[in-house]
Amino acid sequence: MSRRLHPAVAGAQPFQLAERDPDAPLFGSEEGRERLEAILSRYPTRRAALLPLLGYAQELHGWISTGDMEEIAEVLELTPAYVWSVASFYTMYNKHPAGRHMIQVCTNISCHLNGAPRVLEEFLEQTGTVEGETTEDGRFTVLEAECLGACGFATAVQINDAYHENVTPEKVAEILASLDGPESS
Amino acid sequence: MAYPYRDDRETTTILSRHMGEPEARSLSGWLERGGYEALRKAVQMEPDEITEVVKESGLRGRGGAGFPTGMKWSFMPSEPSGPHYLCANADESEPGAFKDREIMRWTPHLLIEGCLIAARAIRAEHVYIYVRGEFFPVIRVLNQAVVEAYEAGYIGESVCDSGWGCDLTVHIGAGAYIAGEETGLMSSLMGGRAEPWMKPPFPAQRGVFGAPTTVNNVETLASVPGIVMNGSAWYRQWGSEKSPGTKMWCCSGNLTKPGNYELELGLPLGEIIHDVCGGPPEGRKVKAVLPGGSSTAFLTADELDCVTTYEGLQEAGSALGTASPIVLDETAEIVPAMRRIAQFYAHESCGQCVQCREGTAWITKILRRIEEGDGEPRDLDTLYDLCDQLTGRTICVLADSVVFPLRSSLDKFRHEYEALMRRSASVAT
Amino acid sequence: MTEGNDLINLIIDGIEIAVEPGTHVIDAAERAGVLIPRYCYHPGIPSRPAQCRVCLVEIEGQPKLQPSCKMTVTEGMVVHTASEEAEDARRAVIELLLVNHPLDCPICDAAGQCMLQDYALETEQLRSRLHEEKLVQGRDRIADDILYFADRCIICTRCVRFMSEVAGDETLIVAQRGDRNVIDTFPGRDLDHPFQGNIVDVCPVGALVHEDFLFKARFWDMDQTASICPGCSTGCNVTIDVKENQIVRVKPRHNPEVNSYWMCDHGRKHLVMSNRGERADVPLIRPDGRLVAADWSEALAWVADRLLEVTGGDAVVSPDSANESLFFLRELLDRLGIGGGSFRVPTGEEATLAGFPKLALRAERAPNTTGAELFGFARVDDPAPSPAGAGLIVLEDPLADHEPEWGGEAAFFLYVGGRLSSAARNAHAVLPVTGFAEMEGSFTNFEGRVQRFHQALRPPGLARPAWMVLSRLIAELDLRRGAETRTETPLEVGQAFAAMAVATPELGGFEWDSIGPKGARLVAAGDAVSADVA
Ligand SMILES: Cc1cc2nc3c(=O)[nH]c(=O)nc-3n(C[C@H](O)[C@H](O)[C@H](O)COP(=O)(O)O)c2cc1C
Ligand code: SF4
Ligand code: SF4
Ligand code: SF4
Ligand code: FES
Ligand code: FES
Repeated sequence: MSRRLHPAVAGAQPFQLAERDPDAPLFGSEEGRERLEAILSRYPTRRAALLPLLGYAQELHGWISTGDMEEIAEVLELTPAYVWSVASFYTMYNKHPAGRHMIQVCTNISCHLNGAPRVLEEFLEQTGTVEGETTEDGRFTVLEAECLGACGFATAVQINDAYHENVTPEKVAEILASLDGPESS
Repeated sequence: MAYPYRDDRETTTILSRHMGEPEARSLSGWLERGGYEALRKAVQMEPDEITEVVKESGLRGRGGAGFPTGMKWSFMPSEPSGPHYLCANADESEPGAFKDREIMRWTPHLLIEGCLIAARAIRAEHVYIYVRGEFFPVIRVLNQAVVEAYEAGYIGESVCDSGWGCDLTVHIGAGAYIAGEETGLMSSLMGGRAEPWMKPPFPAQRGVFGAPTTVNNVETLASVPGIVMNGSAWYRQWGSEKSPGTKMWCCSGNLTKPGNYELELGLPLGEIIHDVCGGPPEGRKVKAVLPGGSSTAFLTADELDCVTTYEGLQEAGSALGTASPIVLDETAEIVPAMRRIAQFYAHESCGQCVQCREGTAWITKILRRIEEGDGEPRDLDTLYDLCDQLTGRTICVLADSVVFPLRSSLDKFRHEYEALMRRSASVAT
Repeated sequence: MTEGNDLINLIIDGIEIAVEPGTHVIDAAERAGVLIPRYCYHPGIPSRPAQCRVCLVEIEGQPKLQPSCKMTVTEGMVVHTASEEAEDARRAVIELLLVNHPLDCPICDAAGQCMLQDYALETEQLRSRLHEEKLVQGRDRIADDILYFADRCIICTRCVRFMSEVAGDETLIVAQRGDRNVIDTFPGRDLDHPFQGNIVDVCPVGALVHEDFLFKARFWDMDQTASICPGCSTGCNVTIDVKENQIVRVKPRHNPEVNSYWMCDHGRKHLVMSNRGERADVPLIRPDGRLVAADWSEALAWVADRLLEVTGGDAVVSPDSANESLFFLRELLDRLGIGGGSFRVPTGEEATLAGFPKLALRAERAPNTTGAELFGFARVDDPAPSPAGAGLIVLEDPLADHEPEWGGEAAFFLYVGGRLSSAARNAHAVLPVTGFAEMEGSFTNFEGRVQRFHQALRPPGLARPAWMVLSRLIAELDLRRGAETRTETPLEVGQAFAAMAVATPELGGFEWDSIGPKGARLVAAGDAVSADVA
């Protein structure tokens, strides 16, 4: 995919995807260098590119490794420790490899009032995992999430970069079936 | 296609008019709907003229605090000594709120147009739209619109061929409610932990990248094109003197027709809950409402005749907040609901202030214990004490935010706490 | 800005005080004698995040309590640090900190000097109300010699901000968020900075601990002495903690002119090691070919007699010696007609503290090179050759890397020092002297600042300060030569200093007691007394 991104949106790409390439170089490729330059061109400081680049690393690799953080630190002239300080603050950055389908069930108040705990249980049961962990086949990670900003459509569930709304326990099986199998497409 | 949650009233003119129309997302569709007319008008106006119209309109910030928007803009230096920035706050993470995402998802150009007009008013050279990271589908829509607007010259070196230039960048967060607090947002935008800082310096003095900055909510900015196009008197035909205009109401919880409704400010709360949203399902009764989202005080079923203006909800002992009523019906239990809310604030506290970092976590632990039947009467005293400690003593108001629902739940639903304790007392003896 | 003499008047707890514009309320209060508790604020670290909220005070006219570390004074301000509301807020901050604090004071190294323990006692909170399980976070190594006890940490971020703002090294950070916040380094990388030990000192609780100090001593078992670090020519002001006549720990002592609140790690280690190892503790003389012990009178008489026979010779001194010792050696040499004399300076890599660049671990790893030069000794690169057939006096150079036979050809070899290397054993007489921590004296640092140090340790055996030994030797010589004016032998350092100051124009007018806590700068001979005398 050598799609050229407009610099205005180069740092704002969805970064929780099923497709990922753990071995792809961050800035070793032409695309990576272009992305870096486009992002840097939008801010008066290099440091401001940190979140966009962490997102880029996760978009590419599915998670953010210490190696990614060191590489980003280097291009932004920051210390790796600083990068770690920032990366660890935000919950969306995966600090460990995550399942190909990251299932986040909102259990916050509006969803809670609409049966979210049961939806979460159902996802856990049907995927056979525990909250926060990834199934052995690497397919699913199921997480309890804070409000996803879809409270009127409770229960809200986010799976990678897509929202599923008005989810009830009954719909869980269907949703899981719609996700691809262990051999990634 | 009708937007599934539209009210049939005639006040859906400003923000939600084109919700439900996928064509409105594209530039051509937006232009067909009169898009960017207001921007064309604004680039011919002097910055202070724009600020003046917005001031007269009485528009108040929709991010929660309700600060008058025109006044906020007028704090920006009128003779820039360096760059100015506008940050559009699209971090929408307050439990109960889901309006900004709908504005961006259906009418991204409305936000872009509002951003550019505001940027002109405050003499900003660059707009950053800080979008909540989780909103991937929304981000795709917004990105597409931004690129189209750039290509058509609505953003860039010479906006609408006026010679005035302004850039706009979409920036996305990564999971932190506190990045929605304006100084937290700027810390985050500068590539840091989203830690709020103590004001002063105020953003208009020293904001993002050390430059004068205005932070405005998405809905605030989306309200601006209509005001600039039609004038302040037009806007003031709705709402009250102190709360003019219309407002998106995000209604959730135990409701038959939850959703987003654009309503004139000032309807009685009960009317929104019952007439607009159909009340709780299956004819159940309302027990309690958090009228402005999870950071506002509970109102009971007896208090729903209050008027939904900034001042009206304040008089009722709560707040308009993000205009996100969360309805609890008679089947809902207050303590678990409150625990879930507290858990959110504990999870989202940035952790700088002792009261907030330790207090939100401790509150959650106490509530969980009470919920599980291990509470003791003196826990309520501790909770009240914590309410005092978390009020007005921290860098930002996240700590205060948990106190509003907590204290009001203790005041108004003490019996539910006590019932759980009696349960434990009888088990113990 | 207002003129320097336009002071701001305010009232703190009923006390009227005038301070410079820009002063923060917490500092103004301190000047008024009111100590407001603080955790995140540290006067040596520039940023004021105002995040611990323990310093909240009531300021009349302000609706909310305000952090006194962040608020600057304004004319007519009325501050209440002990109002009911302020005290309530303070009590609560302590209580909230105790929520996740292990309360393991009995085994904590900071006990007795912990700002959490202190304030908890002050606010009468011996036990916290928490019934919930405490969040237990382990302990972690963050540097080869520093351990971090996360569950004791109150996230004041002083350590983090010391590293980033003062050391200029962003390697220590806050990781995670909310009550999961911990102090951390990049995974797999420890701190590695020559000034990192200061993070232990700035930690207001016992969360950061030097491993080699761990469990070694309780605060109340230690004696503390104000001293000067002998690790390099900067002369950082330090406090030496002693337990059972051993230096167990060294901490920097504030001197805004020299080291601010800081010192380097080399200095700490150097000091702790400085009184280890075997020592000369009794005078030795060689009346008939063998070194034998003697008492002081006997030894001094014998040495004086021998010195009378010496014609010409050389001296080797140490830049570790006190000014007073070097001065009396010069006096002795003058009487013996020996000119010159030299010293060597051990060197090492220089390291500057970015946030306080006046402070550097200097390449010259000795405290008193300036003093040695002041008294006429010349800096040389190589060990002085042993002068055959003449006199040789060595003051405190340990002669550690010299040939074992060095000094043996001298007609008379006097060793005045504390350690007996093989070369030192060739001496005809050894007069045992105290190491710097065992005596009082002064050093002159790289920029000519004379600073005093005090006695922290009991000297071994019969060892005495070199200035005392040398001045008595001078008296013995004078006696033998029937000198008209008999020199007073100083019995304490003030007298030794006075004798030195009278004879040394650069020290003109200084007195031991007038040097003050910041030290005093040498004056060019003939000039008035330096303004630095405080
Ligand atoms: C904890 C906290 C979270 C906030 N989150 C948001 C948010 O997600 N979106 C928002 O617009 N304002 C949020 N705010 C309010 C902002 O600080 C700020 O007041 C607002 O963006 C200003 O815009 P307005 O004047 O247009 O309302 C939050 C405030 C606090 C204290
Ligand atoms: S109140 Fe809470 S969220 Fe706000 S700055 Fe303090 S710790 Fe952070
Ligand atoms: S380790 Fe000590 S200095 Fe560092 S943040 Fe914790 S308590 Fe503060
Ligand atoms: S800088 Fe020099 S004087 Fe200061 S502590 Fe280090 S070695 Fe000692
Ligand atoms: S509460 Fe679940 S999406 Fe808001
Ligand atoms: S010392 Fe003032 S807030 Fe920490």
